[in-house]
Amino acid sequence: MGDRYVRRPVPFLLHEITILNASDPDLAAVSRDLGLALSVDEMKRIQTHFTERGRNPTDVELQSLGQAWSEHCCYKSSKVFLKEFVFPIQTPDVIDRGDAGVMAFDAEHAYALRIESHNHPSAVVPYGGATTGIGGIIRDVLAMGAQPIALVDPLHFGPLDYPYDKLPRELKHPKYLFGGVVAGIRDYGNRLGIPTVAGCIEFDEGYLGNIVVNVGCVGFAKRSQLQRNRVREVGDVFVLCGGHTGRDGIHGVTFASVDLTKEAVGGWEAGAVQLGDPIMKEPLIHAVIESAQAGLLHGLKDLGGGGLSCVVGELALNGGFGAEVDLERVPLKQTGLAPWEIWVSESQERMMLVVPPENVEKVLRICELYDVPATPIGRVIPEKLCRVRYRGETVLEMDLEFYVSGPEYRRPTKAPSLSIKDAAIPPEPRDLRAVLMKLLKSPNIASKEYVIRQYDHEVRAATVIRPLQGVIGKQAHGDAAVLKPLVDSWRGLAVSVASSGGYTALDPYRGGMNAVEEVCRNLVAVGARPHALSNCLNFGNPEKPERLWSLREAIRGIGAAASALGVAIPSGNVSLYNETAEGPVLPTPAILGVGIVDDIRSCVTSDLKKNGDRLYLVGSTGIDLGGSEYYRLLRIEGGLPPDADLPSSKAAMSGLLRAIAEKDVAACHDLSHGGLAVAASEMALGGDIGARVRIPVSDLRFDVALFSESSGRWLVEVHRGREEQFLRTLAAVPVREIGRVGGTEVVFTRGTKSVRAALPELRRTWSGAIPDLVVVS
Amino acid sequence: MKTSEVRVAVLLIEGTNCEDESVAYFRYLGANAEKVHLKQLTGDAPAELRRRLEDYDILMIPGGFAAGDYIRAGAIFAARMKRRIDRDLVEFVEAGKPVFGVCNGFQVLVELGLLPALGGTMTEMPEAVLAMNDSGHYECRPSFLRQENRGGCAFVRQVPRGRMLRVISAHAEGKIMFPRGIEKRVLKELKRNDQIVFRYVDDRGRYAGYPWCPSGAVDNIAALCNRDGNVFGIQPHPERCFFRYLHPDWTRTGGPEGLGDGSAIFASALSYVAERF
Repeated sequence: MGDRYVRRPVPFLLHEITILNASDPDLAAVSRDLGLALSVDEMKRIQTHFTERGRNPTDVELQSLGQAWSEHCCYKSSKVFLKEFVFPIQTPDVIDRGDAGVMAFDAEHAYALRIESHNHPSAVVPYGGATTGIGGIIRDVLAMGAQPIALVDPLHFGPLDYPYDKLPRELKHPKYLFGGVVAGIRDYGNRLGIPTVAGCIEFDEGYLGNIVVNVGCVGFAKRSQLQRNRVREVGDVFVLCGGHTGRDGIHGVTFASVDLTKEAVGGWEAGAVQLGDPIMKEPLIHAVIESAQAGLLHGLKDLGGGGLSCVVGELALNGGFGAEVDLERVPLKQTGLAPWEIWVSESQERMMLVVPPENVEKVLRICELYDVPATPIGRVIPEKLCRVRYRGETVLEMDLEFYVSGPEYRRPTKAPSLSIKDAAIPPEPRDLRAVLMKLLKSPNIASKEYVIRQYDHEVRAATVIRPLQGVIGKQAHGDAAVLKPLVDSWRGLAVSVASSGGYTALDPYRGGMNAVEEVCRNLVAVGARPHALSNCLNFGNPEKPERLWSLREAIRGIGAAASALGVAIPSGNVSLYNETAEGPVLPTPAILGVGIVDDIRSCVTSDLKKNGDRLYLVGSTGIDLGGSEYYRLLRIEGGLPPDADLPSSKAAMSGLLRAIAEKDVAACHDLSHGGLAVAASEMALGGDIGARVRIPVSDLRFDVALFSESSGRWLVEVHRGREEQFLRTLAAVPVREIGRVGGTEVVFTRGTKSVRAALPELRRTWSGAIPDLVVVS
Repeated sequence: MKTSEVRVAVLLIEGTNCEDESVAYFRYLGANAEKVHLKQLTGDAPAELRRRLEDYDILMIPGGFAAGDYIRAGAIFAARMKRRIDRDLVEFVEAGKPVFGVCNGFQVLVELGLLPALGGTMTEMPEAVLAMNDSGHYECRPSFLRQENRGGCAFVRQVPRGRMLRVISAHAEGKIMFPRGIEKRVLKELKRNDQIVFRYVDDRGRYAGYPWCPSGAVDNIAALCNRDGNVFGIQPHPERCFFRYLHPDWTRTGGPEGLGDGSAIFASALSYVAERF
């Protein structure tokens, strides 16, 4: 490779790469040698660009393009579908779509939201990957000028009890990955003082080789302190703020844009995983928020994937100008870094502040009080180009449109040749009680208290509805958490997540739709009006047409549900190449949903409240068993996942919200995994009081009625004396009285058949399952 | 002194993270509270930002993970304070002004030697430790505390003896322990001096083990004060139950309106200062 890489005679490491006359195989070799992860076509585009300029690129320039044009940074495979199905959704209240989406909260305030993946690094280094995942999403929200106020974590692993002797040698055991990820989220999120208020944990063999670790954040701001991710004027100064830059996190985005092969794992371990430092991040948040509140900034953006190489170009191009940077000013963790390493390093805890010259001193003073390093490293120039110097030598000079915009593809998609057949419903098991107990013990349904209580979901003293709800000491799962961001207003923000890997694998359109519908259902269950979503799409290699088809279909489903339910999608993230030698990930859309509560005093929780109250089932039940926990238990692989009747769901949601606002509802829980039987059990456990539920004989088969996962349903306890009012409010919606609160057992009956279980046994089974699998006693 | 004249410093360094709500709630009760970075007290901040400890009437050290708590919880924050403002602290305490530590703040007060302070106003070496929870990890859960002080503590003037409060435990290192060998003697002395303020109980008011006592703390101790009752450290967070709508079970017990169980501790400290100074 000698004469292809020509070292420039300067006192530091800088190479020119002679690509002007390179053949296709040579271009492929350059991409491989430098770890660019660019295709030959992309390399040829670069070759043409530099041929027109009559010179060869430097290593700094090629590395920058490798970052900017990666799947991770420019969404080159997915953008076409997002443009078709998601971007056109018109909803009011969207204020901005930047690093995070920004939505109106009230006349004076706004909130920001985003969710993203941290799958690849977490699969290799679970603790470190999870910590920097949180760090990254918090910076995205901070980049809008918003104070982060809540975190959520949808997590997906292989089965905790997967036999060691069956585990392929190159994979890490789910228990190890689970432990590391949970500890990482705990140690970083808790130290930072941002409450982790919602999440989900799913286990499936489809995550054995590819875990899905998503992390979402919600922020809050006065509208006057909101920031744009762009420069405003020529002469604005780039102030790099926060941690020093080092060799950690080099090529993170490029490794995230290829399959997780053995080579890629090596790359991550060699330094692509960044190192998080919450105790740098915490004061960085203070310094940035104070600068924003004082009106000192013209723009702001976080340094994530691609580091400086992405942030400078994007800020400048978004503002319609160019940028000039003196790279030797960047404070470093260690000496000896080549300019390209400084330029693309993904070292954590850094933000780029765009500051008008007259405010630079003031910003530096705020940073100094918090001991946050802050250094002016460049300025905005009128020409639309990026120029980077290192000790006076120009190491990068590129046209910004070419540099930042990146390619965009319409890659081929193909529906799988075997269309999914509806599996025949099996005969009804004789012992439905045993089925119920097994479902409650399934880690997908069992209590997640072991994890939830390791996360601080209370810090900032604004969590008014918690993830665990009910009698103190007996709480069970709720559907959403609610925050009250302002001391002097009753208005609240509800936060929930949903993911639908099992459904999406069977039917990606329904999977996408269900994830959106479920997260909205969760928000409604506490009394919140669904308002905005952020989606994280975790799929396989988009260069394989069947994988891309499933991504496209899921996006189509998400778009259809969001527009039918009237919720905005102001931000999102796509994580592709979740693929190992063992195969692709279980395709998984994960949705962060945020709802508005007009007055938190009318919020309801899932725990049953009072002996004698009537229970109502809202929504209709069908035979929806494909992808259900019931089928998983019976080891039935096919079947169709639930369809979502979106107009009916929407009508039920508005009816329920009215009933909750009018204070008819004592408790409410959405029906999801495990259906009616599990929802009723959880409500009883949280309230520490029993329930009797009757299924009419004329209705569905007993097991179907108990365990079907039809969408659009809630189990509702109505205050005594409010029943008529409740039914009037929901007149247009299928509602049926189904039972009563009371006793010390949960009892389901259908004709002469019954399933009954006492609360202590239910509690032992449901609470003990996950600790029994992970706690060494 | 009127409540509005009571000046409260809520102290922070990097990694402190319950300062905003603590300031907000002192202000809610009418006090003149502000966030103060330790550098503002040590003279390391620009002139216009410098503050003097003696100009405040209450010092609060809120919860968080000061400096990451990568050594023992509270140790780094305490060491920085001790090196730079130890004399100011002793004068503040000896003037009878309240010092309030919550969670990480309690850990800091113990590391400083301001609690339990059996051997003087501020002992040279810590006399206790907040050790890792028996579960081996962070625990975030509601707790019930019973007030057991006989009247000496400034922070429970508005919490009758025997009253149970809801608070939120959220810590990894909350298990108070005393030096082996003299543990019994220390406990006896604490009781004699009326320094035990709150103990963990179950939902029916009985002393109980995990999870009611989330850490395994010796004798279920959740909060201590010094002998004069003006330095107070509490492991769970009263500010997280400051309003009723922050109670973990308000949707089933008592509703969302009004002040919550934790507010009485803030109000007690304010009334103590208002009456005494």
